Amino acid sequence: MIVLGLDTATHCTAVALRTAAGETLSARDDPAPGEHPGHATRLLGMADELLGKAGLGWSDIQRIAVGIGPGRFTGLRVGISSARALAQSLEVELVGVSSLRALALAASAPDGTPRPVIAVIDARRGEAFAAAYAAGADFAGERGDGSQQMEGELAFPRPLTVEALAGIVEAIDRDGAAPGQRWLAVGDGALHFREQLEASGAEVAPKDSPLHRIDGAAVCELGTTVAAPRSYEAVIPDYRRSPDAALARERVPAGGSAAAA
Amino acid sequence: MSILALETSCDDTCAAVIDADGSIRANVISSQLAHEEFGGVVPEIASRQHLEHVNAIVERALSSASIGLGDVRLVAATQGPGLVGALLVGLSTAKGLAAARELPFAAVDHLQGHVAANFLRAAEDSAAPTGFEPPFLCLIASGGHTLLVHVREHDGFEVLGRTLDDAAGEAFDKGARMLGLGYPGGAALERLASGGDPSAFAFPGSRGERARGGRGAQRQAFAQGLDFSFAGLKTALLYRLRELSAAQAREQAADLAASFQAAIVDSLIERAERGLQRTGMERLAVGGGVAANGALRERLAKLGVELHVPPRVLCTDNAAMIASAARYCDQIAYPHYLSLDAYATGEATR
Ligand SMILES: [Zn+2]
Repeated sequence: MIVLGLDTATHCTAVALRTAAGETLSARDDPAPGEHPGHATRLLGMADELLGKAGLGWSDIQRIAVGIGPGRFTGLRVGISSARALAQSLEVELVGVSSLRALALAASAPDGTPRPVIAVIDARRGEAFAAAYAAGADFAGERGDGSQQMEGELAFPRPLTVEALAGIVEAIDRDGAAPGQRWLAVGDGALHFREQLEASGAEVAPKDSPLHRIDGAAVCELGTTVAAPRSYEAVIPDYRRSPDAALARERVPAGGSAAAA
Repeated sequence: MSILALETSCDDTCAAVIDADGSIRANVISSQLAHEEFGGVVPEIASRQHLEHVNAIVERALSSASIGLGDVRLVAATQGPGLVGALLVGLSTAKGLAAARELPFAAVDHLQGHVAANFLRAAEDSAAPTGFEPPFLCLIASGGHTLLVHVREHDGFEVLGRTLDDAAGEAFDKGARMLGLGYPGGAALERLASGGDPSAFAFPGSRGERARGGRGAQRQAFAQGLDFSFAGLKTALLYRLRELSAAQAREQAADLAASFQAAIVDSLIERAERGLQRTGMERLAVGGGVAANGALRERLAKLGVELHVPPRVLCTDNAAMIASAARYCDQIAYPHYLSLDAYATGEATR
């Protein structure tokens, strides 16, 4: 199956193309920390380049897989609206895959030996989106639109404070992931919260490790195994956080109005 | 040949199909109601809703035009100005739809779209609008923008005047909220004003206020220019409301609304009239949601120039106007549009 994989959940833009032979070509854009992300400006161009390299056209694509986050809201919407439009125009299946699972998949057996992994995406405001994966977690068991839990995954539906994140690492460590194995923390959130994660007993991959960046090939791989939802419109971002205005409103006592000013 | 256009610059998710000659085949607008409880458009909520609905809106536009994507020869989208997060949903969707079929693309300026709404003409429906051709002056007044432009050609305009603070529609909405009419309250304010005396209160910008030599008259440069300002008006209403008791404010609500509306309309009309005089133009068109205001339309009709007021659905934000503008702007061949980004501010002035 020829699959185009896209991810825009973080500062980076990742694209991969899996050919009929099962080979995967990848392209990515990793802007420097202060730089504007290339989601809108690079995503489709990189896909076009990969198609060219593979000698394929848009109409050869059989399925599109897109990272649904959690991550940056605007980035996710650029990736998902592009993916939905491609699926609509090409009349092909669209599957949404968890960006945390994509991150964890690439780190789950870095040297061939299964490892327990904590995938951490920076949620900004001192919080992190995270999920933990036991050694040998069944990534091929991911189902549907990416919203369902898979075997061996410990997921959190909300962004975590750094204290909560560290506490979770300690708690799951006590349960014993695998004797003699430390949790490997990856992702831009793992870099951001390295100190707290290391203090709680996890190992954070080295600063320059590619494991911290979501790989389009992992998105393709996850996207190849899962069943497609009935409609591409079922693929929406995994926001995990309400819009600020709605949050502010929830805090207003009954009868009051947040918009009264 | 059909043009498919998307517009998502604010809180309306819009898709339209027009023919190469500018006749409208479909014009679908999905207005978001989620913002009402917040008293204004919440950008993050707008962006989320655009993404949820945009593909279905495109589908509806295509099916009501009785075409498929295979019949589309040009895809267009609003590139800016507007809410960047909202714009990016429409722009990314349009780029994706076009890229998959390697179609050419047109990136349209939203304000150029309001101008181009005037170029649209009837398909076979006799009730549909007829086209209005340049040259003309165009007064664009909505919740997001207020400007007076000189349209010499189909593919550009010169800005003669613009608002220095609030947009006219924003002033309507803020005034309505102060009068307890909810959000968006522009239409409610107009209804309330219809039973009031527009000369009861002399608000900044109104003819009454200028006749009495108020603050507006002292600011000579501004008063004789073509720029607009509505922030002072909002403050003046606030002070008036503070002076009045709750009972008085209720009793005089219609007069307050009528006077407030008159101040906005007067300042729009005055600039339009002055612009016409200065350019020697005798043709005027309008755009934006405020163009639906009855008091404004009445006064525009009395200007004694050739006037074109598109139907309300083409004055407020819509994608047919973006498709109309796309007929005249540069078509970008595949793949050169894949790197297009949205922009928040600025105007295309060619
Ligand atoms: Zn507008």
